[in-house]
Amino acid sequence: MKEHASTQAGTAVHKPFFLWRHLNKLRWVVLSLVFSMLVLLPMLHLYQTYVAAHAYDLLAPSEKRLYDAMELLTSPFVSDPEKQLDAVKGTTWSGTLFGLKLSDPLAVVGQMAAGLTIYWPFLVTALIPIGFTVVFGRFFCGWICPATFLYELNSNIAGWLHWAGFRIGGRRFDKRIKYGVLALGVVVSAATGSIAFAAIYPPAIIGREIYYAVALSGFGAGAAFFAGTLLFDLLVARRGFCRYLCPGGALYSLLGRYRLVRIRRIVESCNDCAKCNVVCEFGLDPLRDGFGQECNNCTACIAVCPTDAMTFVLRPTDVPPQGPGHLGRQYRRAMEKAAGEAAGRERDRGARAAGDGESTSRPEREEAA
Amino acid sequence: MARRDADAKNEKGARGVERRDVLKALAAAAAALAVGPGAGVAEAALAARPSLRYLRPPGALDEADFVERCIHCGQCGMVCPNRTITYSGFELGARAIDTPYIIPREKGCILCMKCGEVCPTGAIARIPRTLESILEKVKMGHAVVDEGLCLSYQGKTCGVCYRACPLPDVALRVGRLEQPHVLEKCVGCGLCERSCIQMPQAIRVIPSHA
Repeated sequence: MKEHASTQAGTAVHKPFFLWRHLNKLRWVVLSLVFSMLVLLPMLHLYQTYVAAHAYDLLAPSEKRLYDAMELLTSPFVSDPEKQLDAVKGTTWSGTLFGLKLSDPLAVVGQMAAGLTIYWPFLVTALIPIGFTVVFGRFFCGWICPATFLYELNSNIAGWLHWAGFRIGGRRFDKRIKYGVLALGVVVSAATGSIAFAAIYPPAIIGREIYYAVALSGFGAGAAFFAGTLLFDLLVARRGFCRYLCPGGALYSLLGRYRLVRIRRIVESCNDCAKCNVVCEFGLDPLRDGFGQECNNCTACIAVCPTDAMTFVLRPTDVPPQGPGHLGRQYRRAMEKAAGEAAGRERDRGARAAGDGESTSRPEREEAA
Repeated sequence: MARRDADAKNEKGARGVERRDVLKALAAAAAALAVGPGAGVAEAALAARPSLRYLRPPGALDEADFVERCIHCGQCGMVCPNRTITYSGFELGARAIDTPYIIPREKGCILCMKCGEVCPTGAIARIPRTLESILEKVKMGHAVVDEGLCLSYQGKTCGVCYRACPLPDVALRVGRLEQPHVLEKCVGCGLCERSCIQMPQAIRVIPSHA
């Protein structure tokens, strides 16, 4: 009881750094940037081919518009679009950034399985993403993935439908299914000698399909698959593909199991409102400190928390469950009950003391007790 | 003697019928086993179309190794300055879906060698853009002239394929009336096939993986 009094009255409760609650906006900026890059890069490529052809006069009106727009965009930065625009190429599945090649770790795993050999130059291209994942966990899923951008918008649509009275998309499955999908994908890749993940991994599909649609003849088979996952998320399980099926998410979760940077609930300022659990796209349980390996540090729970009870910590494991938040009703009732019991005991003791006719003061007795 | 022959023929015929019956029975069994009417369609869609003649990008590994190595990232197409490299759907089979290929009649490769530079997995080897290394390492296919279709062989001097060839007199030589002769060093870029004014084209690239 004394300890409770001291926390309420005395030492200041830890407050999260004020910028943490704005990281969610930054995350949306990053997601939008990545997605718009995936649209812009094929357009730039198209522009390059027009430049290479030296045939502006022969372009169709729509092609001329694209040419003019891209010229306007790039002319301040490059003098020779044919060569200099090659600096940034590719997608999040595998890309080239100013000579630095970066690849999705899942591409490396799938490629190793398909070829049954390790091709070192390709493995090296995944080291930077792997390093970031070991430190920041499944950050790719929340901060980079172009599919996340669309899936979260899709979640918003589901939210509106829910608000309008359509109770759909509420099913839950076992989150461990995706580790099975990862294992199955490795086995299928090894058996067929062809990387199976490329056909079912949404970020790989999106990067490719946008390129097909902008620069080539139109969407391919992957677009239909991705549309299917959107419908699954909308009608069956919210964010279902990422939560239960995505092999890349499974791999990132495993790599980020002992991530250093993780979100932690400050139990002293939590009021048990459970907004964090509602907003969590991956169906985790921040309210009961259940982050686990699948948290992607997306910071949505930090942004939504009305009492600033979520913050970042540097530690390789989650804190053990801390019980109900100290500003919540459950904790207050428990405390009141404990206080009532303690007061009752005190009263009894006081009555007994008075009856005995002794003159010792109450605080001293309390201390003795 | 003649009777024995006839017997043999009969025997053969009987065996043929038998084999056909077995095949029919197998087909019926397969149809019965098929989960639904969609299965046949799916199978037809998933199987490779052997009639499609396509080239792999310059420097690509052997077909089997290439399919194992390629991660379907699409970067080779994104640097291809002519959009020569396009991507397969199901026409090469489900294993090779979304892999890069070139249809030489639609567009030929200008041998810029950028695709090998960006390929992260080495499915397309990195080859410097010099005459020696291209002649040594690029083997997309080999051009073949159909003299029955070629205008120059009909006495109508043409020579368009020779003009289109990026390696004139190395890969393709012309003789009397601009009649084309493909040389040993042809790398199979497909520019001659693209440029052929005959329909159907009189010069075609036979892919090295075929």
